[in-house]
Amino acid sequence: MKLFNSIKWRLQIWYGLILVAVLAGFGATAYQLEYNQQMRGIDDELHRRFAVLAQATHPHPHGPNGQGPMDGMPGQPPDDMPGQMQPDGPGQAQGGSFHLPPQATGLFDASDPNGFYFIIEGRDGKEVARGGNVPSSGYIPFNPDYVKINRSPELKNPNPPPTFTQGGFRQVFDLTPNGETVRIGCSIAPQLKGLHNNAWELAGLGVIILLFGLAGGLWISSSALKPVESISAAAVKISAGDLSQRINVAEAESELGQLAVTLNSTFARLEAAFKQQKQFASDAAHELRTPVTVILTQTQTALKRERDAKEYKETVEACHRAAERMKKLISALLELTRLDAGQERIKRLKFDFSQTVGDCVELIRPLAAERHVELQSEIEPVAITGDPSRLAQVVTNLLTNAIQYNHEGGEVRVKLRRQDHFAVLTVSDSGIGIPPEDMTRIFDRFHRVDRSRTGMNAGLGLSISKAIIDAHGGSIEASSPESGGTIFTVRLQVA
Amino acid sequence: MRILIVEDEPDLLRSLAQALREEGYAVDTAADGEDGLYKAENYEYDTIVLDVMLPKMDGWEILARLRKTKKTPVLMLTARDQSQDRVRGLDTGADDYVVKPFDLSELFARVRALIRRSQNKTTNVIEIGDVKIDTAARNVFLADKPVELTAREYSLVEFLAMHRGEVVTRTQLYEHLFDENDDTFSNLLDVHVSNVRKKLGAEFIVTRRGHGYCIE
Repeated sequence: MKLFNSIKWRLQIWYGLILVAVLAGFGATAYQLEYNQQMRGIDDELHRRFAVLAQATHPHPHGPNGQGPMDGMPGQPPDDMPGQMQPDGPGQAQGGSFHLPPQATGLFDASDPNGFYFIIEGRDGKEVARGGNVPSSGYIPFNPDYVKINRSPELKNPNPPPTFTQGGFRQVFDLTPNGETVRIGCSIAPQLKGLHNNAWELAGLGVIILLFGLAGGLWISSSALKPVESISAAAVKISAGDLSQRINVAEAESELGQLAVTLNSTFARLEAAFKQQKQFASDAAHELRTPVTVILTQTQTALKRERDAKEYKETVEACHRAAERMKKLISALLELTRLDAGQERIKRLKFDFSQTVGDCVELIRPLAAERHVELQSEIEPVAITGDPSRLAQVVTNLLTNAIQYNHEGGEVRVKLRRQDHFAVLTVSDSGIGIPPEDMTRIFDRFHRVDRSRTGMNAGLGLSISKAIIDAHGGSIEASSPESGGTIFTVRLQVA
Repeated sequence: MRILIVEDEPDLLRSLAQALREEGYAVDTAADGEDGLYKAENYEYDTIVLDVMLPKMDGWEILARLRKTKKTPVLMLTARDQSQDRVRGLDTGADDYVVKPFDLSELFARVRALIRRSQNKTTNVIEIGDVKIDTAARNVFLADKPVELTAREYSLVEFLAMHRGEVVTRTQLYEHLFDENDDTFSNLLDVHVSNVRKKLGAEFIVTRRGHGYCIE
């Protein structure tokens, strides 16, 4: 179910459950405390009356046992005088020898429906005396076993005697040493009713707190997870193809804000990569258009009517040139794509770079001579690790550029030396140099400073060189000093 | 009709020039931007076919500079078919554009349309008395019968018909019918005029002595 998969709702449910548990625990504790307090109050009253009654049943407080107030009970219960009622105040002694003391009359008010009562029973279970508002039922009936268990002599009379609750009555028992049972009780119905009301109030309060808590929790989780929604909304738009979308980062400091910042930079890199790819594809198509146009116009013109052999030959030659150009372009594109994808394996051989550079210089010398460009080289031996043929390609490309973009009678200097841990190759020419605004873009694919398409390398040579040097972990850069010309510097780690 | 082609790819330039010449146009060529602008500013062309990517000065710049002095129809050759490039071309003052690679017949049709529009004509057919000229098919009919004309003769008839009622000077005719490779000091023009009169009737082209020629 979707609802339960949502983090927000899961958080909300757990939060709600915990809140309910806390509130229930708190409410139960509060109820229990209140109950205990009420009962303690009643117990105090019961014990107070018990003490008075104890005094009354045995006027001499210190019995032979001397173990507590109740221990001073009379040795012989007045079994022989049952059933006699002495209307002595509200308390009614049924035992003839029992008299409720005057100070106790106010304590057992028979007219109060919730008042206290007492019952004294003899060893045989017969009632000796009773007083106050004795209920007709509900209180704990006489049970000698119960009394025995609870007040067996081994149990060392605790002080005060224990109280029990049953059937809406709270009673205190004690057993006199000669076996009489003294019982004082009262109805706790009003207290229970109050507690009941309290419980409802607590429950109501709990529900209100729960509702507020849930609402607050919902607000907190919603606002905490709001960035997630905006992140996913942005991600959805991006996956739909709109790469320019960014997540609105309101608070960059929070964890989600950090995530959004990270994602935004990822999106930006993605967009840039896509844009570059698109540009690359469009540039590649553009470069292919011209040779295709040449072939089309050449063939269409030639086919319009009968031509002589010389004209056909010219057409075929022009088509051949165009096809050669496309071939070169396509292999350059493939090479770049492979280098980009890391498919082009770069060999890791230890070799003397000076040999490679020297070979390239010798190879390019005829071109320099043709263009009347002086080629000077200053090469020291330096061993590096890499792919000799790939690096030769870079050197040849740099040399060819230096000669092609030179003026007649210009010069090209090639220098290879070791500098700290690097083999440093510089190729400098005396050409027109590169305008500063183009300097950052010369390694871009298809970028050509003069914007013409006279060169056959279609502006990919420097891009390929850079890709190769990058794959070797080296660096290539260009600079045009004020004095003119261009210097390309390649740095490669020595072996 | 005289056309200037500005294009830096030599094979393309050569084949375009050849194809347009075979269509009967007088064709001048320029291989870079500076040369192209110089020719465009200094000669009368009926249309300029202008590549965008050129050494020394690109097509946009040539167009912008040319538009300060002349409204020669310009057909841009672009290698990019993104609409922003087309919009830019048309906004800068190009009259039409063709995206590389193009079909030659489409290029010819667009060149014809440009010339027709610049002469305020709406159809390809011009009728003058019994003579009907179909500028698309480059045919001339006299009383509904086709008349064989050489390419140069046809161009002469077409140019005069496009300027019907105006006196066209010899210089104008030389500028529009002959390209930079022709010897303009020859009396070739008189030969062509006399041949056209033989084929379409002596009264078809009227000579205004000291001024030039006219179709009335």
